[in-house]
Amino acid sequence: MNTPAFKKETFRDDYTFRNSREAIRRFPFPFAEDEYMYSVNIEQHVSTNPGSVFEHAIDIDEHYIAECEDRRLTLERDPTRYIALPHMMDAQWDMVELIMDSLSTDYPQWFELTKNGDQWHWINKPLEIDQTFTFGDTSTLPMEPFEYITRQVQGDWIIMDHRDDDLFADMGMVTSQADWSIAFDAGMSFKEWHGPVPQANEIGIFDRALKYLLHLQYGSPVRRLNWTMTVNPRLDTSPEEFPLWGPDNASVTPENVGEKVYLRVELQALFRLPRSNAIAFSVRGYLISLDELITYPKWAKRLRRVLTNLHPDLSEYKGLDLYRQTVIDWLEPLEDGAELGLGTQPE
Amino acid sequence: MQRGYWIRSKPLYDSLVWQTPAVAHLVVAGGEGGIAVLKLFQQMYPKDPIQVLYADLPKAEKNYSDILQQIVLEELDICDSEESLLENLEQRLKDCTMGTHFYVAGSEAFMWQVLQKTRAAGVQDVDVQKELCGTLARPVYCVHCKTITRDVHHNVFPCSNCGRHLFVRDHFSRRLGAYMGVMVDAEEPGNIPQIEEVYP
Repeated sequence: MNTPAFKKETFRDDYTFRNSREAIRRFPFPFAEDEYMYSVNIEQHVSTNPGSVFEHAIDIDEHYIAECEDRRLTLERDPTRYIALPHMMDAQWDMVELIMDSLSTDYPQWFELTKNGDQWHWINKPLEIDQTFTFGDTSTLPMEPFEYITRQVQGDWIIMDHRDDDLFADMGMVTSQADWSIAFDAGMSFKEWHGPVPQANEIGIFDRALKYLLHLQYGSPVRRLNWTMTVNPRLDTSPEEFPLWGPDNASVTPENVGEKVYLRVELQALFRLPRSNAIAFSVRGYLISLDELITYPKWAKRLRRVLTNLHPDLSEYKGLDLYRQTVIDWLEPLEDGAELGLGTQPE
Repeated sequence: MQRGYWIRSKPLYDSLVWQTPAVAHLVVAGGEGGIAVLKLFQQMYPKDPIQVLYADLPKAEKNYSDILQQIVLEELDICDSEESLLENLEQRLKDCTMGTHFYVAGSEAFMWQVLQKTRAAGVQDVDVQKELCGTLARPVYCVHCKTITRDVHHNVFPCSNCGRHLFVRDHFSRRLGAYMGVMVDAEEPGNIPQIEEVYP
């Protein structure tokens, strides 16, 4: 794969975020059919399609440096986006191992890890970090291990403690979320945490997902896609900052919809952790403007059909009500009624 | 109050019933929670040691310390405020052993204050029975300024700290002991729905 240069861009204020042609082509478009409803659409998180976002356990792309910088800015404004309950220290070190091992194995040109017993040497070239530390000894890192390592990776990470046949969201680094708060949800059981999601409980989604996840094995991670839409390429669409970005939802017009409205796809992966027996839940977001998305007419038609058929509760929950119709109307000229085959591929 | 679906984090409360066998029983109630204690003492009650902590509360429509003093023949502590009750509880929790059952009754804000103490002492929430009494008023956490406003009666209210108009969601955090409040007119400033007393 030809690795793109890391882009200098912003996810707030002047919003200079853009996707390259290559990033558009590999965008994880989530709709295989013309209708969408929640399902436990879980598959093995194995390497597929070189160059795709599924090639590596943790995908690093052209937005890496900019996303890490955006996380730093968000944490500076509000440190409560990071939380680790006291009993999660084993899981903190599990996460250091998972991320450092994955990145150094999959991207040796950018990340190096040398282990000499407990003495680890970590080099992160894109972020210019060179750190020697003792694995298991928190005092040898500049901050808590989980915070240290998740400041160096894209996407949100929620670590779920496994006890009493349930999973508790007891640790998290959450700065690019689709309108939920780790400061509020920390400590919740699996179903409490997902309580606000409409329709999914009624069709047994969380019962089945929880049952499945309780049996997740070390070494066999799984993944699924989820999606929402966002106005502006904003990573920090948190409830905390709703007063800041809420007005944007009312700013979409037929003239600006192509550049203002983004499809936001989450690649969610779940990893069993070896020491703590916790489960790491990574939520990696990919943003694409409608202008970029219609590069592929198949995606444009598919998205329009999905939005047209969307259950009103889901539309409300995902916060689309103020601009969904504007998007549908804007995509209308691209609709030719052609039958689209099953699948998410761009062409 | 979200239309159409039930949010699973919203706690459901039961009537207090003695849990036996147990090593001991600790009953904690405030204000209108006194009625739940009286109901408890109408049941055939256990032979294990029982302690009752109760506080009259100024906001309660009815208080029960007088009648409790006549009915409860076991160890009963009447406290003169919620604060002193919580301090008393903290001391007693130090002497509680495994196998103690806990019973809490009162407003939601009161109960979750008590739960903060029991949790700090290592008691699991599932081992604490809870009965909601008197008012449906809610403790609400402002997700923007992170302040908890106690005893919220309306679907929309001004945050006691930052003043934003918050919509009270059914989403509840046991760790914080509060419902989530989110700015109601963030998308369209000034567009505030009709305010109603839905938690009298």
